[in-house]
Amino acid sequence: MYTSITNRRSFIKKMAMLSAMTAASTMFPGILFAEEQERGLPKGSSLNWKKAPCRFCGVGCGVLIGIEKGKAVAVKGDPESTVNKGLCCVKGYHSVIAMYGKDRLTKPLVKKSGKYVETSMKEALDLIASKMKETIKDYGKDSVSIYGSGQWTIPDGYVASKLFKGCIGTNNVEANARLCMATAVTGFLTSFGLDEPMGCYEDIDHANIFVLWGNNMAEMHPVLFSRMLDQRLTRGAKIIDFATRTTRTSVAADKSILFLPQTDLAVGNAICYEIIKNGWVHTSFVEKYCNFSKGLTNMGYGLEDNYKFKDKPEKIDFETYKEFLNDYTPEKVEKMSGVSAKDIKYMAAYYGDPNKKVMSFWCMGPNQHSRGTWMNNIIYNIHLLTGKISTPGNSPFSLTGQPSACGTVREVGTLTHKLPHGVVMNKKDREFAAKIWEVPVENIDPKPTYHTVEMFRALDRGDIRFMWIQVTNPMVTMPKLKRYRDGANKKGRFIVVSDIYQTPTTDIADVILPSAMWVEREGMYGNSERRTQYFEQMVDPPGEAMSDTWQLIEVAKRMGFEKQFYYQEETHIEEIYKEYRKHHVGKKHNMAPLEVLKKQPGAMWPYVDGKSTKWRFNSKYDPACTNGEDFHFYGKPDGKAVIWQRPYEPAAESPDNQYPYWLCTGRVIEHWHTGSMTRRIPVLHKAMPHSYVELNPGDAKRMQIRTGDKVKLTTRRGEIILPAAVNQRGVPAPMQVFVPFFDENILINEITLDSFCPISKEPDYKKCAVKVEKA
Amino acid sequence: MRKRFGIISFFVLLFIAFIAVWNYSYYQGQEGAYIPIEKNYLAPMIVSESDVFKRSEYALDYADMSIDENHERSIKSYYSNRAYYGAPPSIPHNVKDERNMGGNSCLKCHENGGFVEKLKAYAPITPHPEMVNCRQCHVPQQTQIVFKKTNFIKGSLPLVGTHNALAGSPPVIPHSLQMRENCLACHAGPSAPKEIRVTHPERINCRQCHVSNDKMMEDIGIFIRNIKTNE
Repeated sequence: MYTSITNRRSFIKKMAMLSAMTAASTMFPGILFAEEQERGLPKGSSLNWKKAPCRFCGVGCGVLIGIEKGKAVAVKGDPESTVNKGLCCVKGYHSVIAMYGKDRLTKPLVKKSGKYVETSMKEALDLIASKMKETIKDYGKDSVSIYGSGQWTIPDGYVASKLFKGCIGTNNVEANARLCMATAVTGFLTSFGLDEPMGCYEDIDHANIFVLWGNNMAEMHPVLFSRMLDQRLTRGAKIIDFATRTTRTSVAADKSILFLPQTDLAVGNAICYEIIKNGWVHTSFVEKYCNFSKGLTNMGYGLEDNYKFKDKPEKIDFETYKEFLNDYTPEKVEKMSGVSAKDIKYMAAYYGDPNKKVMSFWCMGPNQHSRGTWMNNIIYNIHLLTGKISTPGNSPFSLTGQPSACGTVREVGTLTHKLPHGVVMNKKDREFAAKIWEVPVENIDPKPTYHTVEMFRALDRGDIRFMWIQVTNPMVTMPKLKRYRDGANKKGRFIVVSDIYQTPTTDIADVILPSAMWVEREGMYGNSERRTQYFEQMVDPPGEAMSDTWQLIEVAKRMGFEKQFYYQEETHIEEIYKEYRKHHVGKKHNMAPLEVLKKQPGAMWPYVDGKSTKWRFNSKYDPACTNGEDFHFYGKPDGKAVIWQRPYEPAAESPDNQYPYWLCTGRVIEHWHTGSMTRRIPVLHKAMPHSYVELNPGDAKRMQIRTGDKVKLTTRRGEIILPAAVNQRGVPAPMQVFVPFFDENILINEITLDSFCPISKEPDYKKCAVKVEKA
Repeated sequence: MRKRFGIISFFVLLFIAFIAVWNYSYYQGQEGAYIPIEKNYLAPMIVSESDVFKRSEYALDYADMSIDENHERSIKSYYSNRAYYGAPPSIPHNVKDERNMGGNSCLKCHENGGFVEKLKAYAPITPHPEMVNCRQCHVPQQTQIVFKKTNFIKGSLPLVGTHNALAGSPPVIPHSLQMRENCLACHAGPSAPKEIRVTHPERINCRQCHVSNDKMMEDIGIFIRNIKTNE
């Protein structure tokens, strides 16, 4: 974009051209950038560029992968993609290196007297099928289970659900998304009756204010954060970072507001209080489109085995809700949250200003929260009270962390209570699924079994005897890890792990299957904005590595379900997707046909009459609205969204004299999830070689701890020693510490707490009490 | 009498204070010499986040700025006034005021840059304007004649354009970031050496794509699984 000065006249001419170019580049940020990247490529290379969604996070950037001589050798942002407009993050740019780690699994390994022995794929699959049949015979169908993740492609999750729920007849299907997105789901279902955001990323181009609720987007969703920064530069949009810790995001934000852990509930209610007190409520919107409800309180924290909770919603009126909010005046909340009344009013004023479009972003902060569903409800309350929803730029936006957490886990429904369309508890939904799956309807069990934490508890207890784990790493991610690792290692448990590298989870396996990853096979992912994206097979998988979809199909056939698993090897992905689409027929959730997905960088469901739906529930954009009004929240029977009365309740474990600090865990930009892929990318490993504990500089000084010193963290679950980081990547508030969880050599989850949100059953990884000492 | 009492009590107080101070310093003196033993610790290579977004308010100006090819710096001239890679640059021009702190002198040109007619050059922008005692590290070169010749070798300098892991992928940051967390100071604007001038200064979240990999400081090597924790 630079020009040179040669003489005055040409200079003036160039300046004029340049400002036009700048205007163009700001209107389509990134597009010029991708061209620039192209210019940086070596001349005369014979790269063949093919499009795919990025392998890593839920943003779902469009990438182009350069293939040369059957190997993936380069990555660039896809300028055609409306998600990232040609720009990636450091993980995306280096993602293809993850396929070429020296220790890639290429052959199945079977544990024989404590040692892993190489075997053929056929033998390994035979063994898995026979072991599964044997376990069902000896212990019943609910003794076998499958545990996947939002990294499953849509076909992976679909065949897993069909095999376990439709054919075997057990609801023991869960996914890592329970540890990550389950709260977002229950938040959507309780407030709107339908899962997934109503808006889309385009909201970023319209909003004036971005409020980030406990969301370090500069590191975790960097591409979207860059889009926000672009909007700030060009339109003067404002970014407010509302968090418990000072991060790169806080530094970039226009305002950084820190709150004490768990008090976001109170601050959210205080914002609602201010909105009502100052008359900023969009009265006609609330009257027409909203109901008020309250649920049970004092729900507990799920710390005990077989904990059960079912909310009892009860309708209330606006007056009751107003009265309830009197406990949450900014002045009262200031005392408990550490957020000044001024700052609460500041945030409320932006939400309340009818001339400002506000976008709220959140991800693991409100989701991994022992009152997470409530917190999601409260954010929706703010947007519903002010009517700032489902219109361009007014958007409560729940982000995801895995490439297909939405596409596979939430839409295909690989959770114990879910079916691809609807839930197992509903007779009609069961009949609908059974018909498409061509199984007797009695096969589908109407009772959900175990959510993730309870599933691993059941494995420990012996209620579950067989577990197949695909594309995820629970032996790094489970909270209170030791119990679940010891449980999995008990005698009489048979664990199958499909992965691409050895991980702490393959260490507990009886059979390790080598998987084909990402573009070594064909598949689809669904990102956070309801966008389904297709990728073709671009390179060959190493050795005998096989896609997770085909592994499941092979085992299903061996178990006698040839009729349901009729797919041909060459065309199975297409056949599966066609079958899957049948579950979502209708204006509310129609999926784009495969031909469309192959042509363009994804399409957003509901895909109706050849068009993606950008804003759901808004009759201007969403053909599923039928009530003749401007908005129709058709997820609820009466077409109204719900404003929930949700109080503040403390966390399951708060600091005390013995364990005086808060422990929070999370991620860093360089590593994705448990690092089993990103740590095998030298650029990323070298930039972030190991985990650490971040301390507040004041606390560190008092304890005479400097960066690099060894620090011992002790909780009621155990202890761990790791190096300190003072004033480095992030700065926690006083009496709080933060540890990233990516490092399998420093397993922070050994000491985290397995409390969870009673409604969503998602664990709270962000809060437990810890003792901090210099080691 | 009253006057005398005042004087006496003043001296009494002074004496008490003397006793107290003497006592304290005596006990302090009793303490043995103490040299803290430095533990050989593994310092994480996480670079500081301070200043990451500094100067980003000028990003669009940088993007719009035209480049004066006749007066731009090159990486060669950039290294020429550094004793070795990473050393503080010496001051290549006369310094008018010997007794001033940076805020009043150096920063006038080096905080925001600009063309200096007299030197026919653009003033480089400092990445750490908060450190105002400039002359602590940066010294002018008053003479080109050396006292005695040296065998010191400058060492190899990192090359430009060799830091991509893949064709076309964003280069890693090959240098230490200590006091250089603010990327735009050196990598954007008319004073930036042309070889390392960023083509996209408007993308201010630099470390979204460019991560640190400072081999000169420490080569970290590749990821190794620690089998011990998995018994």
